[in-house]
Amino acid sequence: MKIELNGNEYSVEQNGITIQKLIDELKLDIKSTAVAVNKTIISKSSYAEFMLKENDKIDMVTIAPGG
Amino acid sequence: MKKKDDILKIGKYEFNSRLLIGTGKYPDFQTMKVAADISGAEIITVAVRRIDFNAKENLLSYIDLDKYILLPNTAGCYTAEDAVNTLMLARELDVFRTDLVKLEVIGDQKTLYPDNEELLKAAKILVKEGFTVMPYMMDDPVLAKKLEDIGCPVVMPLASPIGSGLGIRNPYNIKIIKETVSVPVIVDAGVGTASDACKTMELGVDGILINTAIAGAADPVNMADAMKKAVEAGRQAYLSGRIPMKLYAQASTQMEGIVF
Repeated sequence: MKIELNGNEYSVEQNGITIQKLIDELKLDIKSTAVAVNKTIISKSSYAEFMLKENDKIDMVTIAPGG
Repeated sequence: MKKKDDILKIGKYEFNSRLLIGTGKYPDFQTMKVAADISGAEIITVAVRRIDFNAKENLLSYIDLDKYILLPNTAGCYTAEDAVNTLMLARELDVFRTDLVKLEVIGDQKTLYPDNEELLKAAKILVKEGFTVMPYMMDDPVLAKKLEDIGCPVVMPLASPIGSGLGIRNPYNIKIIKETVSVPVIVDAGVGTASDACKTMELGVDGILINTAIAGAADPVNMADAMKKAVEAGRQAYLSGRIPMKLYAQASTQMEGIVF
């Protein structure tokens, strides 16, 4: 199935995927990653259970240079 | 006052350094790292942005989280809602050791001046949410008082527009702000070079946040060192109590005992 990840189309396994699995798949450091699904902020404690659905818009953020 | 006793207090946090620096616009992360180190800063600002999955390196690997307190900003937010959401999202990042946040709500793209109304609105919400809010604001004493009254433990008026390097355009307003509020005043934005930082500190403000003047210098590391010294010198001069300005000369050598 397809989701939108940081503004780009992204394919994940057909049966759906949890946020935790997606983070693992992308080899991201969970400590420095925060996630919003369809602009709703998801707390870290729910990553393992939160199933992503077709066409969900996922934002994964971290720190970036800034003043 | 001895330097070791001269502590900057922001809410429940205490700092020895009065220079805060940003992490933006450096030629590379390594230069940022060395400049941050030499500046002696304890607080460094960062933005919160979408992860670039193609990036070869990331900022975090150049920051020692045991050494610095990272201050998330809301740069690029034009509404209270966006600024609040950005910081709520930032709260989910485990890299922030404190609840300190730099709140900026921009009102105009050309000047990057803050939107007072939205800033106050966002500050109220964030204070209620338990953040220690450090608001970037206009050099407006009335607004400074309002921000203090709603629970901001520091106010951060600009010296001049972000990245302009124009230095302190209205030193009198900064002085009035300092006299108006009892919370610390950190001048944020506009410093161009070391003398600007020194003069600003001589006004009696509690600290300065500098990004572009260091990061954009031809030699950022050397400029970071200069800014550190300027902030310290300005602070020391302020605490020492400068002489009043006079129109005419006053001899520094006594006339008594003169022969010819």
